[in-house]
Amino acid sequence: MADPPAIETQRLTRVFESRKGFLFTEKTRTEALRGIDLTVEQGAIFGLLGPNGAGKTTLTKILSTLLLPTSGSAHVLGYDVTTQVEHLRPRIGLVLGGERGLYNRINARENLRYFADLYGVPRGEREHRIDAVLDRVGLSDAADRRVEEYSRGMKQKLHIARGILHGPELLFLDEPTIGLDPKSARETRKLIRSLVSDGVTIFLTTHYMFEAEELCHRIAVLTKGRIAAHDTVAGLRQLVGGDRTIEIEDYGFDDDELAALRALSGVSKVVTEEFGARIRATIRIHAQRPTTEDIRALLSNHATLALRERRTSLEDVYLDLVEEEAN
Amino acid sequence: MATPQGYGWSRGRSTLASIRLCVLQFVADPQWLIPSMIAPVIFGLVAFGLFANSGPNFLVYAILGAGMMSMWGQTLYGSGWATGQDRVWGTLEPTLQAPTPYLYVVLGRVLWNVVSGLIGGLIVYVVVVTVNGAAPTLPNPAEFALLFVFVMLTLASVGTLLAAVYVYTRFAGFIQNIGEFAFYVGTGCMFPVVLLPFWTNPIALLFPPTWALDALRYNGIPGYVGFSWGFGWDLVGAIATTAVYLGISTSVFRRVERQVLEKGSLGDY
Ligand SMILES: Nc1ncnc2c1ncn2[C@@H]1O[C@H](COP(=O)(O)OP(=O)(O)O)[C@@H](O)[C@H]1O
Ligand SMILES: [Mg+2]
Repeated sequence: MADPPAIETQRLTRVFESRKGFLFTEKTRTEALRGIDLTVEQGAIFGLLGPNGAGKTTLTKILSTLLLPTSGSAHVLGYDVTTQVEHLRPRIGLVLGGERGLYNRINARENLRYFADLYGVPRGEREHRIDAVLDRVGLSDAADRRVEEYSRGMKQKLHIARGILHGPELLFLDEPTIGLDPKSARETRKLIRSLVSDGVTIFLTTHYMFEAEELCHRIAVLTKGRIAAHDTVAGLRQLVGGDRTIEIEDYGFDDDELAALRALSGVSKVVTEEFGARIRATIRIHAQRPTTEDIRALLSNHATLALRERRTSLEDVYLDLVEEEAN
Repeated sequence: MATPQGYGWSRGRSTLASIRLCVLQFVADPQWLIPSMIAPVIFGLVAFGLFANSGPNFLVYAILGAGMMSMWGQTLYGSGWATGQDRVWGTLEPTLQAPTPYLYVVLGRVLWNVVSGLIGGLIVYVVVVTVNGAAPTLPNPAEFALLFVFVMLTLASVGTLLAAVYVYTRFAGFIQNIGEFAFYVGTGCMFPVVLLPFWTNPIALLFPPTWALDALRYNGIPGYVGFSWGFGWDLVGAIATTAVYLGISTSVFRRVERQVLEKGSLGDY
């Protein structure tokens, strides 16, 4: 029999209803997931990319049995996440990360012993297994220090050590590098990449395109609770095809000028961003023209104009997708 | 690396792991010494002053009152509190995500708290007897000691269910603080329930410690007048209600977990 997909969801939704206030309660309704159809095959690293509030954590928690869907279905490793929890939990690992989620007053080794028992790591293998994962994440030297003395990056490594402790087939990593300094983030990404060689499938969420691009074989872009695109990195590049991007920068552009740029034939989009006193306009072009020269000519009254053409990046695709959904 | 698959969990192993964690945290943090060691001393002194010379059996009353008070804190409050702590620390989510049902983690904590509650009871005993200068004369010391442990177990059964409330909501501590006084008085921890207004009795009888404490007083205090049905039925009632509490705990925990996964409140703190 062929392996079931690592993850398969159908029309998955999740609505949060929360009350605010004590006497005069006000109900708020958030549709965190609005119909997710997603299939992730086993093996390699899958990336779920989306901005804050897109629903990444919500989807991760549903798939790892910490949250029930409102409607639709989800199967992980062939098991229903709502009714076959007892089969699923031993087979998956979850890393929510962050400052919390660990017993700070005791050392890393004792944290791992506790969870090894709860996760049912065979008794005889426990100590050996703990040494192995500590070594894997590079915490062997700090294993006997209290977790409260750990840096943010070390805590993240310990979270990952706990996630792989019981040898899961599928590992969920929710924004594994968020809040880490650049060096720790780099180390963590390196560690994640190395885990694939153990044969574990990784489902990773992130709001950094470069991280998804660097680590993941396939990427789904999640925005406002919907999957806006799902493809390989190469496939996502295809989305922009031969598109060109020209960036212009100066101390402000008039609305008229921006309107004129947008009106040029061949221009599909103009997005502006502020950089301190300067404004950057990113112009997406789907034809041979306008060229940089055409644009310089159009803005000839800008003495301090900076202008460059570059290859359209995945970051651009991502921002476009996220923006389209928002409009 | 090998893939162990994680099917090695068992109820006993999880309960032991939970006890072990309690011990490690206790050792790591001396602030625990205050409620577990100093409070019983204070309770013992206060109770002695309160009951002094109020009848021939005042000594037993003082020991029971103070002993129950310190044990209430340890056994009952401690068990629920640790779950609230899991919420605050963010350890509730990874713990629930493990294949082991959370109930066995709670059971480990309850057992640990029973032990520290008994130590508290012992401290009270030593304090009251030292202040008094002589030990009370108990009709059946061995039976009394057994019943004492049994009372702890009835408290533990309440503590187990109380922990479920902490899984359910982050407001459990608030609820418990309000309920604590009512429970403490209502179950007859400090003085016999029969002294309370009649209407409170049926509610108090829903709690196993009410029955067990009445039985303990029958055993330890000559001429004690408690529930009219007497010692034997007290014991039956205590065993029956404790059995019901422990019997429903599996399904209560399963339901509570389902509820929080539905509400999405597991990560609240
Ligand atoms: N427990 C909850 N109660 C109410 N609303 C929630 C809860 N969890 C998430 N949400 C809401 O659902 C949306 C998606 O959140 P989340 O899944 O955390 O997004 P992400 O992880 O992509 O940042 C947000 O609008 C968030 O406010
Ligand atoms: Mg998130």
